[in-house]
Amino acid sequence: MKRYTKALFLSLGMLLATPMAQATEAKDIQSFTLDNGMKIMVLEDSSIPNANMYLFWKVGSRNEVPGITGISHFFEHMMFNGSKKYGPKMFDRTMEAAGGANNAYTTENLTVYTDWFPANAIETIFDLEADRIENLDISEQMVESERGVVASERLTGLENSNWRVIQEELKGAAFRAHPYSWSVIGHESDIAAWTLDDLTQYHKTYYAPNNAVVVIAGDVKLAEVKRLANKYFAPIPAQAPPREVKTVEPLQKGERRVFVQKASVSTPNVMLGYHVPATSNSDYYALDLLASILTTGNSSRMYQALVDKQVAIEIDTYMPMSFDPNLFYVMGVANPSVTAAELEDAMISEINRVALEGVTVAELEKVKNIKLMGFYRAMETINGKANTIGTYELFFGSYDKLFNAPDAYNKVTPEDIQRVAQTYLKRSNRTVAVLAATEETD
Amino acid sequence: MKTQITRLMQPNKLFTAMAIAGTLALSACTATQAPTTVDTGSFSVPAYQQVTLSNGLTVYMMPQREVPLITIDATVRVGAVNDTTSGVAEMTAAGLMLGAAGKSKRDIEQEVDFLGASLNSGAGKEGSFVSSKFMAKDADKMLPLIKDMLVEPDFDTKEFDKLRQREIAGLAQAKESPRAVISRYYDKLIFGDHPYANATSGNSDSLAELTVNQLRAFHKSYYQPSNTAISVVGDFEPAQMQAKLEKLFANWQNSEPVALIDLSKGLPKLDAAEVLLVDKPDAIETTFLIGGMGISRDNPDYVGLTVINTVLGGRFTSWLNDELRVNAGLTYGARSGFTPYSASGTFRISTFTQTATTKETIDLALKTYARLWEKGLDQATLDSAKAYVKGQFPPKYETSGQLAGLMSDMYLYGFDDAFINEFQAKVDGLTLAESKRLIDTYFPQKNLQFVIIGNAAKIAPIAKEHGKVKQVKMTDVGFGG
Repeated sequence: MKRYTKALFLSLGMLLATPMAQATEAKDIQSFTLDNGMKIMVLEDSSIPNANMYLFWKVGSRNEVPGITGISHFFEHMMFNGSKKYGPKMFDRTMEAAGGANNAYTTENLTVYTDWFPANAIETIFDLEADRIENLDISEQMVESERGVVASERLTGLENSNWRVIQEELKGAAFRAHPYSWSVIGHESDIAAWTLDDLTQYHKTYYAPNNAVVVIAGDVKLAEVKRLANKYFAPIPAQAPPREVKTVEPLQKGERRVFVQKASVSTPNVMLGYHVPATSNSDYYALDLLASILTTGNSSRMYQALVDKQVAIEIDTYMPMSFDPNLFYVMGVANPSVTAAELEDAMISEINRVALEGVTVAELEKVKNIKLMGFYRAMETINGKANTIGTYELFFGSYDKLFNAPDAYNKVTPEDIQRVAQTYLKRSNRTVAVLAATEETD
Repeated sequence: MKTQITRLMQPNKLFTAMAIAGTLALSACTATQAPTTVDTGSFSVPAYQQVTLSNGLTVYMMPQREVPLITIDATVRVGAVNDTTSGVAEMTAAGLMLGAAGKSKRDIEQEVDFLGASLNSGAGKEGSFVSSKFMAKDADKMLPLIKDMLVEPDFDTKEFDKLRQREIAGLAQAKESPRAVISRYYDKLIFGDHPYANATSGNSDSLAELTVNQLRAFHKSYYQPSNTAISVVGDFEPAQMQAKLEKLFANWQNSEPVALIDLSKGLPKLDAAEVLLVDKPDAIETTFLIGGMGISRDNPDYVGLTVINTVLGGRFTSWLNDELRVNAGLTYGARSGFTPYSASGTFRISTFTQTATTKETIDLALKTYARLWEKGLDQATLDSAKAYVKGQFPPKYETSGQLAGLMSDMYLYGFDDAFINEFQAKVDGLTLAESKRLIDTYFPQKNLQFVIIGNAAKIAPIAKEHGKVKQVKMTDVGFGG
């Protein structure tokens, strides 16, 4: 969802539908695992004199509990606020003075740190990362100013993004047990309340080398990366694995509904959320292609039926990659004079049509081509490469699954698409959220 | 996220990519410190050819074979500055997608989507574009489509009516997000009656007046080969590509002289501090821009200013981000940047904060900005910014889309590849003395202009402290004038 997903969760990675071209092959990705359990993947690519380091930590809002919601994301911020060798502000100052830049993002499943730098600054990057992983120094003063920053991040999201406003409420209704229930940014009162002790404990538990996957792509050599990894990352001790997330969301047995009022909304927004399995489930591929059939491009079913017919001015789908069963989102913005109920009916009727009538072979071929194109686009940059490799390693169990994905997509048949629509995109499995300017009345 | 990489606020490529929010405070004058140059590796523009076809069409070709894709950017030298009715340039460009050479909008979309390709069109202030990315094997299907759109658009009335209706609804929707529209208010405030004030989007009243005949006339006047460049980047053979384009565009001829306007004339003098206060009664935060006139794209000091702006508000450790975010916790991000056009430009500081801290945030932004003159840069900070700007430069020209965009910009703004190839040397050559000259020459110090969007009932008294206030409602038609 181009417009909506920029919020906290970047849509992770692109999938592909046929073999990777001359770009990258399985043998181009080299990997090794340090004794402390940290797995490192390397892709040598000298197309520009730059490189990156992506550190994927297996911690996100799914690892939180009420009272500390949002702490994963807050922690993402705290990782920049000082450690033993590089005190407050020195992480960014040192990296930028070496020509590097960085960012980070947190999702329901992961916290990801991204460093982009001239390749010859790689040792500085290893030094900086190792210091904050092993010796983070969380000071009370930094916690307090960062609370203000995160509170502002939360507000600016709610002010500028209807997606953020409505999704937060929909998740709360769709999940009543699993931690996907709350937003990644967390509840306002929790942001104000977590303690130094909560943070220290969180770092020790989750920021252990055995809980990370690292990808380095760019103008680097494997031997040099190995040398630096052994020097900087290998001495960091492993920790006991974090406790598993054991809560399984109980089966939803009927439609749930939420309404959100916001005065400045010009026309109603409608969001549907259907429970779907985790990304590791074999139905992932059919659901992903179905999302594309519904909303990718102006020839897609929902553009044709809703936007072209002037029921909606915008329509999109979103299915995050996910360790646990999550949601398949469909969101529409009503055309002026179309009511929320009319928009909702039109959206549902188009979704139900797939379950009833299925899709054509040509539609399926089209979205497979779109997936392939998306894959090539991702592989045009060293950042796209690093992100794609990491995504496969985490959500599909191994980066080499990247090279099986073509087959997995190609195997999907029109019958599979109809079956997943019938299985998952049904009323009893659905939560409906409406965002509009005027409050509901009896 | 740690920081938000906002592309909405800074349309220009170079400054956008640097606008990661930030501010640096390696305080104290270290006059004795010797300059240090950080080696960030060498980088130059990949080889390309520029040719002019017999009908005057400019073609840039740059082979890049890492992935089997081709990007095509067709750039026509016309934009919102040429608007006769507000929004006509944008609607003409968008209208190219509504059917061409007898193929309907739907036919074209089916064909393009089936190939997995992308095909978009739109207008900016000074350029209109058709942009497409496709698999190299599909070139013979996509090239004729792009040609038809540029040369023989149908401007189908029924499709136009639907497009216009969507655009009008989209304008109301955009106004739900202060961040999405604040630049349009700012350009109006800065440029007043000059064409650079024109919002590309038009407004709900002007779009309602437009007709397909106006689009046809606009197209005829400006979409001519001598006023157009096509940039091709990706997996192809230049000789073959040139032959294909020659053949494809052979019948496209110039029909009339293209009307040029002198944009260097009539630029306003900002001789009083002014505040445009945009009232959004349900706002939970205040979003604002502060600044004034900037520079044109061909300014010889462009690169040096990029470095200075990096220190002020072009990266995470920049002064503005350090003070407003890191030290004070008032905002998620504060930044600054120049937006250059061909004959002028703007400079702005941008940030946002919860309504209750509006006053202290504006005051701190101004106080931090004043440091440019009160303290200036020190050697360590300058060295760091230079390393940063150089180190972050190559990834801006990594994809076929980025490289095609670079060539389109060269066509529109009249600079050449020396911009890339001499970039590092220019950065390296910037001295402290020179940085002082750049600050004194280019950063607006007096008569600052403000756009503030928020809950006017609560922040109007604060707005008054900074200049003559004009107050409008967010839901009013247009962008403040």
